[in-house]
Amino acid sequence: MPRRRHRSRALVSPRRPAWEQGARLVAGVLLLLAGLGGCASLVPQTMALREAWPAGVARSSENTTVPFFPQQDYQCGPAALATVLVAGGVDLSPDDLVKSVYLPARQGSLQVEMLAAPRRYGRVSYPLAPRFDALLQEVAAGNPVVVLQDTGVGPLVNWHYAVVVGFDYPAGELYLRSGETRRLALPFTVFEYTWKRGGYWAMVALPPERIPVSADPAGYLAAVAAMERVAAPQAALLAYASALRRWPDNATAGIGLANRQYAQGALAQAEATLRQTLALHPDAVPVLNNLAQVLSDLGRNDEALALLDRALRVDAGPFAAAVRETQALVRQRMGRSR
Amino acid sequence: MNSAFKKMMCRFLAVALITLPFQTGQASMISTDQVSSAATVQANRSLVLNHLNRAQTVSEFQALGLDAQQARDRVAAMTDEEVGNLAGQINAVPAGGDGLVALILVVFFIWYFAFRR
Repeated sequence: MPRRRHRSRALVSPRRPAWEQGARLVAGVLLLLAGLGGCASLVPQTMALREAWPAGVARSSENTTVPFFPQQDYQCGPAALATVLVAGGVDLSPDDLVKSVYLPARQGSLQVEMLAAPRRYGRVSYPLAPRFDALLQEVAAGNPVVVLQDTGVGPLVNWHYAVVVGFDYPAGELYLRSGETRRLALPFTVFEYTWKRGGYWAMVALPPERIPVSADPAGYLAAVAAMERVAAPQAALLAYASALRRWPDNATAGIGLANRQYAQGALAQAEATLRQTLALHPDAVPVLNNLAQVLSDLGRNDEALALLDRALRVDAGPFAAAVRETQALVRQRMGRSR
Repeated sequence: MNSAFKKMMCRFLAVALITLPFQTGQASMISTDQVSSAATVQANRSLVLNHLNRAQTVSEFQALGLDAQQARDRVAAMTDEEVGNLAGQINAVPAGGDGLVALILVVFFIWYFAFRR
């Protein structure tokens, strides 16, 4: 691997000549340490990329359409979040996010709030797996990624949020919207060094019809359920529908979509969704129970009872109580209609 | 926990027990939440704990300079798990803030004298 000696414009300090003497000494010490401890322990994931580039990911990619909001004071959290939300079509400014993610006494923003805030705007916050391949996959797909960096050194800690918008592996650089710099170029090694100390934390916040390419179904559906608590119902419906398109055999996605349709009063649609799910999961008790409820609401109590009997024949597990409740309700309705 | 907090908590619990819908009734539909968290029994047991954690986190947010409404709104947007992890830890978890990217020399040297990727 050729060792490159490019200078990064963003990093060169005007005082460079003054410390260059000492720099060689420090570098010598560093190389020695690296030799002793192994570079691998300093930036293990960058080392791993040398061995194997993630399959199916372009070697370079950049989404130049991602907007830039220069941060004010300590508010890199609102700025980074506004960057990804506006890129995803939400109309807001960093100031709108200060009240939901900035903590005055901490002069910063917590990770949990960075995840929580986009939900109010109907965006699905998804924490990425703590790996370069997940980050690179998302960026290559054009999804800007919020990362937490520690730009301090040794005992000094300096947490900072930035947004990765691109990378160029042959040049060895990642591109970030960071602080007051529209396009900060960081070498992979330096980026990993700063990213590692926050446990490789990264997140995307995407519109419900756009699922993160690196998402796993369980994690994504949990993220949608988290959004469902506070977002407009339509956003959750769209997200479940997208999830079902991406993972057609996922029962939770089917139940989620049907529940939203049921809540909207779209009973026929809910029935169709649940029947599709049931065809793939004939013993899924929640599907049997919910379909029975839908059919009962449609006035088809006999069909509903048959489904509930079927649910009770298989081991209903934690849902047994719910099934019996539905059964009682259906019987009551039947009694009334006679 | 100080005694003011305990008092607040007791009042909260008393009200919560009376008024909060511990059995959420949307007809008899099994909710998506119940399906994704397979441990339903566990979920019921931790229901009270969740309310405690939320109340605690709201009061901690207020102590950090948020007004009551903001604090409640923020906590409302979090999942039970997120609140559970945060409660009592607000001053220990990272708060990203500084943007003066003072990327320190050592980091620069790694790149400059060793490698970029």
